[in-house]
Amino acid sequence: MNQEMEFKNIVAQYSKVTPEEMNNEMRFREDLGFSSLDFMSFLGELEDTFDLELDESEVLKITTLGEALNLLEELQ
Amino acid sequence: MLIRNILEESARKFDEVKAVKWLNKKEIMERSYGELMENVVSTRKGLLAEGFEGKHIALIGTSSVEWMESYLGIITGCTTAVPLDAALPCEDLIDLLNRSDSAALFLSPKLRPYLDAFLGNCPKLQKVWMLQEEVEDAPAKVYGIGELRNAGKSASADSVCPDAEDIATIIFTSGTTGKSKGVMLTQNNLASNVEAVKITAEPGTAMLSVLPIHHAFCLVMDWLKGFSLGATLCINDSLLHMVRNMSIFKPDIMLMVPMMIETIYKRLAAADPSIPKAVLAEKVFGGKLHIIFTGGAHLDPYYIERFAEYGVEVLEGYGMSECSPVISNNTPENHKKGSIGKPLENAEIRFENGEILVKGSSVMKGYYQMPDETAETLKDGWLHTGDKGYMDEDGYLFINGRVKNLIILSNGENVSPEEIENKLALNPLVGEVIVTGENNGLTARIYPEQAVVEAKALDTEAIQTQLQAFLDEYNRNQPTYRRITGLVIRKNPFIRNTTKKIKRQDVLIDEPLE
Repeated sequence: MNQEMEFKNIVAQYSKVTPEEMNNEMRFREDLGFSSLDFMSFLGELEDTFDLELDESEVLKITTLGEALNLLEELQ
Repeated sequence: MLIRNILEESARKFDEVKAVKWLNKKEIMERSYGELMENVVSTRKGLLAEGFEGKHIALIGTSSVEWMESYLGIITGCTTAVPLDAALPCEDLIDLLNRSDSAALFLSPKLRPYLDAFLGNCPKLQKVWMLQEEVEDAPAKVYGIGELRNAGKSASADSVCPDAEDIATIIFTSGTTGKSKGVMLTQNNLASNVEAVKITAEPGTAMLSVLPIHHAFCLVMDWLKGFSLGATLCINDSLLHMVRNMSIFKPDIMLMVPMMIETIYKRLAAADPSIPKAVLAEKVFGGKLHIIFTGGAHLDPYYIERFAEYGVEVLEGYGMSECSPVISNNTPENHKKGSIGKPLENAEIRFENGEILVKGSSVMKGYYQMPDETAETLKDGWLHTGDKGYMDEDGYLFINGRVKNLIILSNGENVSPEEIENKLALNPLVGEVIVTGENNGLTARIYPEQAVVEAKALDTEAIQTQLQAFLDEYNRNQPTYRRITGLVIRKNPFIRNTTKKIKRQDVLIDEPLE
């Protein structure tokens, strides 16, 4: 599985939107239905899955799927 | 019995038992009950030696062993602790430091950038102790807690035991009038709530504390109750790492708000169905978790059934800061799904037009310097909760509505819509605004100011863009729970009642007024 697909599968755990329906402009809260805590838990899963260490104050500014994917690529 | 007596007894009985565990990077750090008590006593004696007897002392920071030792140092002496939400914007914290008449402050090193603003705008603030041993390049009036504790260690005098009716702590809670209120809880309020909640646990039982420490539920039920049992309180360093920390600390018991249960369930439900539930439970919950106490907001009973499949009993309770905080709770022995449990033995309950009223030894003394709000909420010793409910034939309490206009989010945060509306109304393009709670977030419903729309010849798209930009700016400085995640632009003004107040029950109707 490529990184983007793995990423979208994690997103899909918290959302009713399927990986196939997702696009980079979708916002976590408004479009994907994440609660604030879903988002925190999701970030924690990203850390564990991709072996990253995220800067909490920075990642909480992320609003869209595309922004999160860009960050993931930057940190890899 | 006071918290001081409870703590002294625990220190005697559980001297070597670990009281607190936390992570320093990846290393697990520990503090025994004996060591904790030493720091509590030196803090208390230090406060006395520095002349703070009878004063209010604020604390700003997330959960840490230094925060807790300082808090206990304050409340076991003749001083009053004022825990404040570290996620609030700097100007809100200044307002609360001033309104609570705080003479000193314990501050997390992470919030050092706020220090100058606090010292410059809080004239009553005499000293600030950073929640770290030593401070480099400390400005005037600023010290490390090491200095305070050393002053306590070299002092011979210890503070006398506070009186049962002395104010132990002031906890700020959202007010329906748009201004947060300082709930005054006495020494007896806190101790009687700790004693009235019947939970049994072996010394060393691991409790992972994941809620914000300035909230009464976390402060009293995780920490003070946990200490009374000889439990080991493990600190969750970030909500990002809650699941990871469950596998590190392997908690037996946890306190959660419904939103946490909902989030964890999403992870359980999304797992490969071929994985046995016991294996998944070990992966997600750490392998030992068997009880989650929940409160602060309504929990759909569906989750109680689902979590039971993973061997975790979810027990719902009910409370509010004004009641120190627990009023009723389900226990492993006595529970009924969908109810908020039986009232505690120290809580008397009656109903007035469906509203739940509470009387008893855990009910607050009042709101700090707010006599009108106190008189409105406390009548003849009966606390008006603002919640509607009923009791069934078996004595279990149920909630079925709200009287007061407060939005309760599933993370347990109470949000006063007026407080936010007052801020949003400052924008000239906002004619009328009402904030509602929807889909676990806040939505601003705005009727644009027509004079501004006409003067600037704004079309619908321009209005949308300008208001969204304004909300984005507002959100930037707010804690997550106070951010506006939805915007609805109305075509018509809100419907008003005969006294010209907006009818909140009709805010979803957007039709031309007659």
